[in-house]
Amino acid sequence: MNILVVEDEPKAGNYLLNGLQELGYCVSLARDGVDGLHQALETPFDVIVLDVMMPKMDGWEVLRRLRKEADTPVLFLTARDDIADRIKGLELGADDYLIKPFSFAELVARLRTLTRRGPIREDEQLQIADLQIDVLKRRVTRATTRITLTNKEFALLHLFATHPGQVLSRSLIASRVWDMNFDSDTNVVDVAVRRLRLKIDDPFQLKLIHSVRGIGYRFDTQP
Amino acid sequence: MSSRPYSLTLRLALIFALLAFALLTTLGVALYRELEHELVRRDDAALISRVDQLRNLLNDGNTLDLIRTKPELFQNMLGNRESVLSIAAPGQKPLLLVNPANIELPTVKPVPKDHILALSDVQHLPGLNGVPFATVAASIDSGDLGSLQVTSGRLMTERTAVLASYRLSVYILASIAALILAVVGYLLVYRGLLPLRHLARHAQGIGVSNLAERLDVRGAPKELLPMIESFNTMLERLAKGFVQLGQVSTDMAHELRTPINNLLGETQVALQQDRSIEGYQQLLASNVEELERLARMLDNMLFLARTDPTGALHQRQALSAADEVQRIADYFEGLAGDVGMRILAEGEGVIWAEPMLLRRALANLCANAIKYGAPGSDLLIQAVPDAEGVHLNVSNQGETIPAEHLPRLFERFYRADESRERSAQSNGLGLSIVATIMRLHNGRYSVSSEAGVTSFELVFPRREA
Repeated sequence: MNILVVEDEPKAGNYLLNGLQELGYCVSLARDGVDGLHQALETPFDVIVLDVMMPKMDGWEVLRRLRKEADTPVLFLTARDDIADRIKGLELGADDYLIKPFSFAELVARLRTLTRRGPIREDEQLQIADLQIDVLKRRVTRATTRITLTNKEFALLHLFATHPGQVLSRSLIASRVWDMNFDSDTNVVDVAVRRLRLKIDDPFQLKLIHSVRGIGYRFDTQP
Repeated sequence: MSSRPYSLTLRLALIFALLAFALLTTLGVALYRELEHELVRRDDAALISRVDQLRNLLNDGNTLDLIRTKPELFQNMLGNRESVLSIAAPGQKPLLLVNPANIELPTVKPVPKDHILALSDVQHLPGLNGVPFATVAASIDSGDLGSLQVTSGRLMTERTAVLASYRLSVYILASIAALILAVVGYLLVYRGLLPLRHLARHAQGIGVSNLAERLDVRGAPKELLPMIESFNTMLERLAKGFVQLGQVSTDMAHELRTPINNLLGETQVALQQDRSIEGYQQLLASNVEELERLARMLDNMLFLARTDPTGALHQRQALSAADEVQRIADYFEGLAGDVGMRILAEGEGVIWAEPMLLRRALANLCANAIKYGAPGSDLLIQAVPDAEGVHLNVSNQGETIPAEHLPRLFERFYRADESRERSAQSNGLGLSIVATIMRLHNGRYSVSSEAGVTSFELVFPRREA
């Protein structure tokens, strides 16, 4: 996946570049709007991460000019928690946004969603190692043991199983499983994951749910 | 409304002046009319008495002789150039004509012999150059000469002059009075408004540093008291708001101290000597936790600073109360289960709200209820619709909150239990966010705590048709 990051803040630009590269993406970094627009028009990118507050040419202007030529998906970053600002970005043709400060895992998840082509085909059967999930019947078995889950536990497991190997942040989990789109002061997600682990991991040798310190959780056959 | 401010003083002074001028002029005109009337009456009486005298005189034959021989005697008798006298037999040349000013005599119908002359017999004519002319004519029986006609008249030059001077005086005096009143009025109003200027000066001196100061009621006129009182009440409110705002800033700074202190201290200690990769990872993860806490606090503060309700009101949707309470119950199921609490959720009706804000409010209440609820007890989430809207009720069993804390629970950073350890999970903003959300929805919020049951109620008003 080809990603263009347009960010004037040096530290932010560097960590985005490094972080995304480490995940195996091909990343270009532009340090201002003019350069960003130039690169965006020169090279076909799969997705563009665009900071709004930049000198010379701000993100809005970059977006406006870019949209005349290309419809590359754009995720904009803003420090202003202002509804009018968000609406403006989406009206100008941006596809998604994140408000600073945001979690890196959240950014990666959003970028993946933006670049996913075509409708998502829901697998009816999921199999990870010896764990089997029958999505339609909502039936979960591990090895040969039938595991009974509550609705939300099933939703959480389904989220994990459809994103194997990806680090999922707590806020992403809260938003996908319970539709709670705000950072809660509670550790609800941790508790829910612990309860799920109790049922699908604890009795078995191979652990599937891994904590990623400071970020969230990863569902993987690899430790 | 004119955009230019006008001077009250000047306006009042001008009104005084105009009123004075109008009143004095009216009075002057009235007196003038009286005087004019009196003068006319006197002049007319003089004319009549002259003609009366002539009537008597002309009855004597000697007088007629005298008229014939020595007319200058009569001329002198009249004494001035304004008078006219003519004595003539009907249709003949006058026996005597005294007319030094050569006034053209009009023909006047004489009063009959036996008629006693009265004021109404005097004829008033426009006369010369606007100067009125009064005349009276009478028939006289003079014995040998038969019937004679006596005409006496007078041009009222003197009277006109007197009246003109009187008129002038009236206008001059009225003008002077108006001028004096204008000046006096200006000074009086200026003096009368002194307390206002004093207040303005005082008000100007009140700033952020001395918001506790109040405008002085003493010495102020009664009319200004309501204004001073409202102003002082406003200052009161401002001062209170300012104190609260300052308190919030201070509290926020204090709240920021803990995570920043943790970040700084842990990082510095970690850098003191070389550590294992595991050690660094631990440090970074701990840093992330503290930073997330900071980010959340920031997010909450910004949320609370949102004062414009239009955004939230525009995004309201009709939400099923049953679904929403169930969602919250699901969300907190695990957390409650950890402390052995059971969540009982039930509800009906349609809530008219912005979904994220509604969930946030409910989540904050439930998080509190689980934190302070007695382990093993029930947490009740209910939605009850009525004519007003939907009443959401979150109640838990636990320690009763002392009544004095209840009204302040919704204030930012307020904690009923100051000694309670400030946990990383709580920043004292949860309930103030609930309050803000309810204000954004024009709804109500309240709390009660009695006999071990603490209950929060939110009322979302129904959708306006």
